[in-house]
Amino acid sequence: MRRWPASLYLTCLLATSWAAPALAAPQSFNTALPVAQGEFLFREQFVLDQSGDDPSGANRDRTAWALVSVLGYGATPDLALFGVVPYVDKNLNLTQGGAKRERSARGLGDISLFGRYTVYRQDWPGRNLRIAPFAGLEFPTGEDDESDSLGRLPPSLQPGSGSWDPFGGVVLTYQTLDFQIDTQASYRANTEANSFAFGDVARLDGSLQYRLWPRELGGGVPGFLYGVLEANLVYQDKNQIGGSDDPNSGGLSLFILPGLQYVTKRWIIEAGVQVPAFQNLNGTALEKDYVLRAGFRLNF
Amino acid sequence: MRQQAVRRSILVALLVLGVLAAPAHAQETKGVYTLQVDGLACPFCAYGIEKQLGATEGVESVETDIKSGTVTVTMQDGATLDEDTAGMAVKAAGFTMRGYKHQGAGE
Repeated sequence: MRRWPASLYLTCLLATSWAAPALAAPQSFNTALPVAQGEFLFREQFVLDQSGDDPSGANRDRTAWALVSVLGYGATPDLALFGVVPYVDKNLNLTQGGAKRERSARGLGDISLFGRYTVYRQDWPGRNLRIAPFAGLEFPTGEDDESDSLGRLPPSLQPGSGSWDPFGGVVLTYQTLDFQIDTQASYRANTEANSFAFGDVARLDGSLQYRLWPRELGGGVPGFLYGVLEANLVYQDKNQIGGSDDPNSGGLSLFILPGLQYVTKRWIIEAGVQVPAFQNLNGTALEKDYVLRAGFRLNF
Repeated sequence: MRQQAVRRSILVALLVLGVLAAPAHAQETKGVYTLQVDGLACPFCAYGIEKQLGATEGVESVETDIKSGTVTVTMQDGATLDEDTAGMAVKAAGFTMRGYKHQGAGE
Protein backbone atom coordinates (compact mmCIF):
# COMPACT_ATOMS: atom_id res chain seq x y z
CA MET A 1 0.00 0.00 0.00
CA ARG A 2 1.29 3.39 -0.98
CA ARG A 3 1.90 5.71 1.93
CA TRP A 4 0.64 9.24 1.81
CA PRO A 5 3.65 11.55 2.04
CA ALA A 6 3.23 12.62 5.60
CA SER A 7 6.24 14.85 5.54
CA LEU A 8 4.53 16.87 2.85
CA TYR A 9 1.51 17.08 5.07
CA LEU A 10 3.57 17.91 8.11
CA THR A 11 5.51 20.44 6.16
CA CYS A 12 2.31 22.12 5.12
CA LEU A 13 1.35 22.26 8.77
CA LEU A 14 4.64 22.91 10.40
CA ALA A 15 6.88 24.61 7.93
CA THR A 16 3.87 26.68 7.67
CA SER A 17 4.00 26.85 11.35
CA TRP A 18 7.50 27.86 12.02
CA ALA A 19 8.36 31.39 12.92
CA ALA A 20 8.41 35.19 12.21
CA PRO A 21 7.29 38.72 13.59
CA ALA A 22 3.45 39.56 13.65
CA LEU A 23 2.67 41.61 10.59
CA ALA A 24 -0.06 40.38 8.35
CA ALA A 25 1.96 37.26 7.50
CA PRO A 26 1.16 34.33 5.22
CA GLN A 27 -1.34 31.58 5.92
CA SER A 28 0.57 28.64 4.50
CA PHE A 29 3.82 29.20 6.40
CA ASN A 30 4.67 30.68 9.78
CA THR A 31 8.17 31.92 9.32
CA ALA A 32 7.02 35.46 8.62
CA LEU A 33 5.12 35.97 11.86
CA PRO A 34 6.36 39.17 13.54
CA VAL A 35 6.83 39.41 17.31
CA ALA A 36 8.15 42.44 19.17
CA GLN A 37 10.49 42.11 22.15
CA GLY A 38 8.69 40.84 25.25
CA GLU A 39 5.55 40.20 23.23
CA PHE A 40 3.70 36.92 22.72
CA LEU A 41 1.90 35.82 19.63
CA PHE A 42 -0.60 32.99 19.46
CA ARG A 43 -1.87 31.52 16.23
CA GLU A 44 -4.50 28.81 15.99
CA GLN A 45 -5.16 27.29 12.63
CA PHE A 46 -7.63 24.63 11.54
CA VAL A 47 -6.32 22.68 8.58
CA LEU A 48 -8.43 20.27 6.55
CA ASP A 49 -6.40 18.24 4.11
CA GLN A 50 -8.14 16.16 1.45
CA SER A 51 -6.36 13.77 -0.89
CA GLY A 52 -7.76 11.32 -3.36
CA ASP A 53 -7.71 10.61 -7.11
CA ASP A 54 -5.78 7.42 -6.40
CA PRO A 55 -3.79 6.11 -9.38
CA SER A 56 -3.15 2.75 -7.66
CA GLY A 57 -6.65 1.34 -8.08
CA ALA A 58 -7.08 0.94 -4.32
CA ASN A 59 -9.55 3.83 -4.23
CA ARG A 60 -7.62 5.49 -1.46
CA ASP A 61 -9.24 8.58 -0.05
CA ARG A 62 -7.47 10.40 2.70
CA THR A 63 -8.93 13.09 4.94
CA ALA A 64 -6.87 14.66 7.65
CA TRP A 65 -7.59 17.60 9.85
CA ALA A 66 -5.40 19.31 12.36
CA LEU A 67 -5.53 22.04 14.93
CA VAL A 68 -2.16 23.71 14.85
CA SER A 69 -1.27 25.97 17.77
CA VAL A 70 1.68 28.31 17.41
CA LEU A 71 3.12 30.32 20.28
CA GLY A 72 5.77 32.90 19.54
CA TYR A 73 7.81 35.06 21.88
CA GLY A 74 10.07 38.00 21.09
CA ALA A 75 13.22 37.35 23.13
CA THR A 76 14.96 40.41 21.66
CA PRO A 77 14.03 42.81 18.85
CA ASP A 78 15.79 40.40 16.46
CA LEU A 79 15.34 36.96 18.02
CA ALA A 80 11.95 35.29 18.06
CA LEU A 81 11.26 31.85 19.49
CA PHE A 82 8.36 29.66 18.41
CA GLY A 83 6.68 26.48 19.44
CA VAL A 84 4.24 24.57 17.24
CA VAL A 85 1.85 22.00 18.68
CA PRO A 86 -0.38 20.09 16.27
CA TYR A 87 -3.33 17.92 17.17
CA VAL A 88 -4.11 15.68 14.22
CA ASP A 89 -6.83 13.36 13.02
CA LYS A 90 -6.04 11.20 9.99
CA ASN A 91 -8.44 8.96 8.17
CA LEU A 92 -7.80 6.70 5.18
CA ASN A 93 -10.46 4.85 3.23
CA LEU A 94 -9.38 2.25 0.71
CA THR A 95 -10.40 -0.96 -0.99
CA GLN A 96 -8.44 -4.08 -0.13
CA GLY A 97 -9.29 -7.50 -1.59
CA GLY A 98 -12.62 -6.14 -2.76
CA ALA A 99 -13.57 -4.94 0.73
CA LYS A 100 -13.71 -1.36 1.84
CA ARG A 101 -11.47 -0.54 4.76
CA GLU A 102 -11.11 2.46 6.98
CA ARG A 103 -8.04 3.17 9.03
CA SER A 104 -7.56 6.15 11.26
CA ALA A 105 -5.66 7.68 14.13
CA ARG A 106 -5.76 10.86 16.10
CA GLY A 107 -3.78 12.54 18.81
CA LEU A 108 -1.00 14.94 19.58
CA GLY A 109 1.41 15.28 16.68
CA ASP A 110 5.09 16.09 16.70
CA ILE A 111 5.95 19.35 18.44
CA SER A 112 8.38 21.74 16.77
CA LEU A 113 10.55 24.39 18.33
CA PHE A 114 12.44 26.92 16.29
CA GLY A 115 14.09 30.30 16.40
CA ARG A 116 14.32 33.08 13.89
CA TYR A 117 16.95 35.79 13.93
CA THR A 118 16.60 38.97 11.88
CA VAL A 119 19.98 39.62 10.27
CA TYR A 120 18.92 42.50 8.04
CA ARG A 121 16.38 45.16 8.83
CA GLN A 122 15.55 48.32 6.91
CA ASP A 123 12.76 50.73 7.74
CA TRP A 124 11.35 53.54 5.63
CA PRO A 125 8.25 55.68 6.15
CA GLY A 126 5.35 53.24 5.73
CA ARG A 127 7.61 50.41 4.53
CA ASN A 128 9.97 47.82 5.93
CA LEU A 129 12.23 44.98 4.81
CA ARG A 130 13.34 42.02 6.93
CA ILE A 131 15.60 39.08 6.18
CA ALA A 132 15.77 36.37 8.80
CA PRO A 133 17.18 32.85 8.83
CA PHE A 134 15.45 30.33 11.01
CA ALA A 135 16.25 26.87 12.34
CA GLY A 136 14.45 24.34 14.45
CA LEU A 137 13.76 20.78 15.36
CA GLU A 138 10.67 18.64 15.29
CA PHE A 139 10.48 16.33 18.27
CA PRO A 140 8.95 12.84 18.20
CA THR A 141 6.17 13.68 20.64
CA GLY A 142 3.35 12.14 18.61
CA GLU A 143 2.37 8.51 18.86
CA ASP A 144 4.13 6.48 16.16
CA ASP A 145 3.02 2.91 16.88
CA GLU A 146 -0.76 3.12 16.60
CA SER A 147 -2.46 0.04 15.22
CA ASP A 148 -5.92 -1.23 14.36
CA SER A 149 -7.48 -4.61 13.52
CA LEU A 150 -5.40 -4.74 10.36
CA GLY A 151 -2.16 -4.27 12.25
CA ARG A 152 0.21 -1.39 12.69
CA LEU A 153 -0.85 1.75 10.85
CA PRO A 154 1.41 2.99 8.07
CA PRO A 155 3.73 5.90 9.01
CA SER A 156 1.62 8.38 7.06
CA LEU A 157 -1.36 7.66 9.30
CA GLN A 158 0.51 7.82 12.58
CA PRO A 159 0.02 11.07 14.54
CA GLY A 160 3.78 11.30 14.99
CA SER A 161 6.78 10.37 12.91
CA GLY A 162 8.92 8.97 15.73
CA SER A 163 11.91 10.82 14.30
CA TRP A 164 13.94 13.89 15.22
CA ASP A 165 13.73 16.15 12.21
CA PRO A 166 15.79 19.33 11.90
CA PHE A 167 14.74 22.11 9.54
CA GLY A 168 15.96 25.51 8.54
CA GLY A 169 15.76 28.23 5.97
CA VAL A 170 15.50 31.93 5.40
CA VAL A 171 12.50 34.24 5.16
CA LEU A 172 12.24 37.65 3.55
CA THR A 173 9.44 40.10 4.24
CA TYR A 174 8.77 43.36 2.42
CA GLN A 175 5.83 45.32 3.69
CA THR A 176 4.19 48.58 2.68
CA LEU A 177 0.95 50.21 3.71
CA ASP A 178 -0.67 48.80 0.56
CA PHE A 179 0.74 45.28 0.37
CA GLN A 180 3.09 42.76 1.90
CA ILE A 181 5.30 40.12 0.28
CA ASP A 182 6.78 37.18 2.17
CA THR A 183 9.05 34.57 0.67
CA GLN A 184 10.85 31.70 2.27
CA ALA A 185 13.21 28.94 1.21
CA SER A 186 13.45 26.02 3.59
CA TYR A 187 14.80 22.51 3.92
CA ARG A 188 13.69 19.78 6.21
CA ALA A 189 15.75 16.66 6.89
CA ASN A 190 13.48 13.81 7.91
CA THR A 191 15.40 11.20 9.83
CA GLU A 192 14.70 7.53 10.32
CA ALA A 193 12.48 5.93 12.93
CA ASN A 194 11.07 2.40 12.97
CA SER A 195 13.14 1.55 9.84
CA PHE A 196 11.28 4.23 7.94
CA ALA A 197 12.17 7.78 6.92
CA PHE A 198 10.00 10.27 5.12
CA GLY A 199 11.77 11.92 2.24
CA ASP A 200 13.49 15.22 2.90
CA VAL A 201 11.51 18.28 1.86
CA ALA A 202 12.71 21.42 0.08
CA ARG A 203 10.28 24.28 -0.27
CA LEU A 204 9.95 27.69 -1.86
CA ASP A 205 7.00 29.69 -0.60
CA GLY A 206 5.67 33.07 -1.54
CA SER A 207 2.81 35.17 -0.26
CA LEU A 208 1.25 38.42 -1.43
CA GLN A 209 -1.19 40.23 0.84
CA TYR A 210 -2.88 43.20 -0.80
CA ARG A 211 -4.99 45.69 1.13
CA LEU A 212 -8.52 45.62 -0.26
CA TRP A 213 -10.12 47.75 2.44
CA PRO A 214 -10.00 50.52 3.41
CA ARG A 215 -9.02 51.75 -0.03
CA GLU A 216 -7.97 55.11 1.38
CA LEU A 217 -6.30 55.34 4.75
CA GLY A 218 -7.65 57.81 7.27
CA GLY A 219 -6.31 58.59 10.71
CA GLY A 220 -5.55 56.20 13.54
CA VAL A 221 -5.19 52.46 13.07
CA PRO A 222 -8.07 51.03 11.05
CA GLY A 223 -8.48 47.30 10.49
CA PHE A 224 -7.12 46.08 7.17
CA LEU A 225 -8.80 43.54 4.92
CA TYR A 226 -6.18 41.82 2.81
CA GLY A 227 -6.67 39.69 -0.26
CA VAL A 228 -4.12 36.90 -0.09
CA LEU A 229 -2.43 34.92 -2.85
CA GLU A 230 0.19 32.36 -1.92
CA ALA A 231 2.25 29.83 -3.84
CA ASN A 232 4.09 26.81 -2.42
CA LEU A 233 6.60 24.87 -4.49
CA VAL A 234 7.37 21.65 -2.64
CA TYR A 235 9.86 18.97 -3.57
CA GLN A 236 9.96 15.84 -1.50
CA ASP A 237 12.51 13.10 -1.81
CA LYS A 238 11.40 9.46 -1.83
CA ASN A 239 10.65 7.81 1.47
CA GLN A 240 13.07 5.20 2.72
CA ILE A 241 11.81 1.82 3.88
CA GLY A 242 14.48 -0.30 5.49
CA GLY A 243 17.10 1.80 3.74
CA SER A 244 15.57 1.48 0.26
CA ASP A 245 13.68 4.06 -1.74
CA ASP A 246 9.92 3.76 -1.91
CA PRO A 247 9.22 4.32 -5.63
CA ASN A 248 5.67 5.44 -4.86
CA SER A 249 6.56 8.44 -2.80
CA GLY A 250 7.87 11.93 -3.17
CA GLY A 251 7.75 14.28 -6.14
CA LEU A 252 7.20 17.89 -7.04
CA SER A 253 4.07 19.91 -6.31
CA LEU A 254 2.96 23.50 -6.73
CA PHE A 255 0.07 24.80 -4.68
CA ILE A 256 -1.81 28.08 -4.95
CA LEU A 257 -3.73 29.58 -2.06
CA PRO A 258 -6.25 32.38 -2.55
CA GLY A 259 -7.61 33.71 0.71
CA LEU A 260 -8.66 36.61 2.89
CA GLN A 261 -7.20 38.08 6.03
CA TYR A 262 -8.60 40.74 8.37
CA VAL A 263 -5.96 42.43 10.47
CA THR A 264 -6.42 44.62 13.54
CA LYS A 265 -3.97 45.77 16.21
CA ARG A 266 -4.64 42.83 18.52
CA TRP A 267 -6.03 40.04 16.37
CA ILE A 268 -6.19 38.61 12.91
CA ILE A 269 -8.69 36.22 11.34
CA GLU A 270 -7.82 34.46 8.13
CA ALA A 271 -8.94 31.74 5.76
CA GLY A 272 -7.85 30.33 2.46
CA VAL A 273 -7.98 27.24 0.27
CA GLN A 274 -4.79 25.69 -1.01
CA VAL A 275 -5.30 23.95 -4.34
CA PRO A 276 -2.76 22.06 -6.44
CA ALA A 277 -1.67 23.83 -9.60
CA PHE A 278 0.78 21.11 -10.51
CA GLN A 279 1.60 17.70 -9.04
CA ASN A 280 4.26 15.43 -10.48
CA LEU A 281 4.45 12.67 -7.91
CA ASN A 282 6.36 9.41 -8.12
CA GLY A 283 4.59 6.14 -8.84
CA THR A 284 1.21 5.85 -7.22
CA ALA A 285 1.74 8.58 -4.64
CA LEU A 286 -1.61 9.98 -3.61
CA GLU A 287 -2.37 13.41 -4.99
CA LYS A 288 -3.73 16.23 -2.88
CA ASP A 289 -7.17 17.63 -3.73
CA TYR A 290 -7.19 20.70 -1.52
CA VAL A 291 -6.17 22.06 1.88
CA LEU A 292 -8.53 24.39 3.73
CA ARG A 293 -6.96 26.73 6.24
CA ALA A 294 -8.82 28.94 8.70
CA GLY A 295 -7.75 30.47 11.95
CA PHE A 296 -6.93 33.45 14.08
CA ARG A 297 -3.96 35.15 15.65
CA LEU A 298 -3.58 37.18 18.83
CA ASN A 299 -0.92 39.55 20.10
CA PHE A 300 -0.43 39.89 23.83
CA MET B 1 -26.07 97.75 48.50
CA ARG B 2 -23.65 98.89 45.87
CA GLN B 3 -20.65 97.49 47.80
CA GLN B 4 -22.41 94.14 48.09
CA ALA B 5 -23.00 94.06 44.33
CA VAL B 6 -19.34 94.83 43.67
CA ARG B 7 -18.22 92.09 46.08
CA ARG B 8 -20.59 89.62 44.43
CA SER B 9 -19.26 90.54 41.00
CA ILE B 10 -15.66 90.06 42.15
CA LEU B 11 -16.55 86.69 43.70
CA VAL B 12 -18.25 85.50 40.53
CA ALA B 13 -15.29 86.70 38.46
CA LEU B 14 -12.86 84.82 40.72
CA LEU B 15 -14.94 81.66 40.47
CA VAL B 16 -15.04 81.89 36.68
CA LEU B 17 -11.30 82.48 36.54
CA GLY B 18 -10.75 79.54 38.87
CA VAL B 19 -12.78 77.20 36.69
CA LEU B 20 -10.98 78.36 33.56
CA ALA B 21 -7.60 78.15 35.24
CA ALA B 22 -7.99 74.51 36.35
CA PRO B 23 -7.77 72.87 32.90
CA ALA B 24 -5.07 75.32 31.91
CA HIS B 25 -3.01 74.08 34.84
CA ALA B 26 -3.57 70.45 33.79
CA GLN B 27 -2.43 71.24 30.26
CA GLU B 28 0.81 72.66 31.57
CA THR B 29 1.72 69.49 33.43
CA LYS B 30 1.08 66.84 30.78
CA GLY B 31 3.84 66.47 28.21
CA VAL B 32 2.92 65.32 24.74
CA TYR B 33 5.52 63.85 22.44
CA THR B 34 5.27 63.04 18.77
CA LEU B 35 7.47 60.25 17.43
CA GLN B 36 8.05 59.66 13.75
CA VAL B 37 8.43 55.91 13.25
CA ASP B 38 9.74 54.25 10.10
CA GLY B 39 8.59 50.76 9.19
CA LEU B 40 5.01 50.99 10.46
CA ALA B 41 2.96 49.40 7.71
CA CYS B 42 0.04 47.50 9.19
CA PRO B 43 -2.28 47.51 12.22
CA PHE B 44 -0.45 44.61 13.86
CA CYS B 45 2.74 46.71 13.89
CA ALA B 46 1.00 49.42 15.87
CA TYR B 47 0.27 47.06 18.74
CA GLY B 48 3.95 46.36 19.39
CA ILE B 49 4.80 50.05 19.41
CA GLU B 50 1.94 50.97 21.70
CA LYS B 51 2.72 48.10 24.08
CA GLN B 52 6.40 49.00 24.35
CA LEU B 53 5.78 52.71 24.83
CA GLY B 54 2.81 52.07 27.10
CA ALA B 55 5.07 50.09 29.44
CA THR B 56 7.42 53.06 29.80
CA GLU B 57 7.23 54.75 33.18
CA GLY B 58 5.06 57.84 33.23
CA VAL B 59 3.25 57.19 29.94
CA GLU B 60 -0.47 57.85 30.16
CA SER B 61 -1.58 57.01 26.64
CA VAL B 62 -0.20 56.18 23.21
CA GLU B 63 -1.93 56.80 19.91
CA THR B 64 -0.72 55.72 16.50
CA ASP B 65 -1.52 57.16 13.11
CA ILE B 66 -0.44 54.48 10.72
CA LYS B 67 -0.78 56.54 7.55
CA SER B 68 1.64 59.23 8.68
CA GLY B 69 3.76 56.87 10.79
CA THR B 70 3.40 59.10 13.82
CA VAL B 71 2.99 57.95 17.40
CA THR B 72 1.67 60.45 19.94
CA VAL B 73 2.67 59.80 23.54
CA THR B 74 0.88 61.63 26.34
CA MET B 75 2.67 61.58 29.69
CA GLN B 76 1.22 61.62 33.18
CA ASP B 77 1.38 64.85 35.20
CA GLY B 78 4.96 65.93 35.62
CA ALA B 79 6.46 62.96 33.74
CA THR B 80 8.77 63.33 30.77
CA LEU B 81 9.88 61.06 27.92
CA ASP B 82 13.46 61.45 26.83
CA GLU B 83 14.56 60.68 23.30
CA ASP B 84 16.73 57.67 24.21
CA THR B 85 13.93 55.97 26.12
CA ALA B 86 11.49 56.56 23.27
CA GLY B 87 14.02 55.27 20.73
CA MET B 88 14.69 52.10 22.72
CA ALA B 89 10.98 51.35 23.06
CA VAL B 90 10.48 51.77 19.31
CA LYS B 91 13.51 49.56 18.62
CA ALA B 92 12.19 46.88 20.98
CA ALA B 93 9.00 46.86 18.94
CA GLY B 94 11.12 46.17 15.89
CA PHE B 95 11.03 49.56 14.18
CA THR B 96 13.12 52.71 13.77
CA MET B 97 12.46 56.11 15.33
CA ARG B 98 13.30 58.80 12.82
CA GLY B 99 11.88 61.84 14.60
CA TYR B 100 11.22 62.96 18.18
CA LYS B 101 9.36 66.11 19.07
CA HIS B 102 8.19 67.47 22.40
CA GLN B 103 4.86 69.12 21.74
CA GLY B 104 4.77 70.64 25.20
CA ALA B 105 1.46 70.81 27.05
CA GLY B 106 -1.43 68.61 26.14
CA GLU B 107 -4.86 67.89 27.47
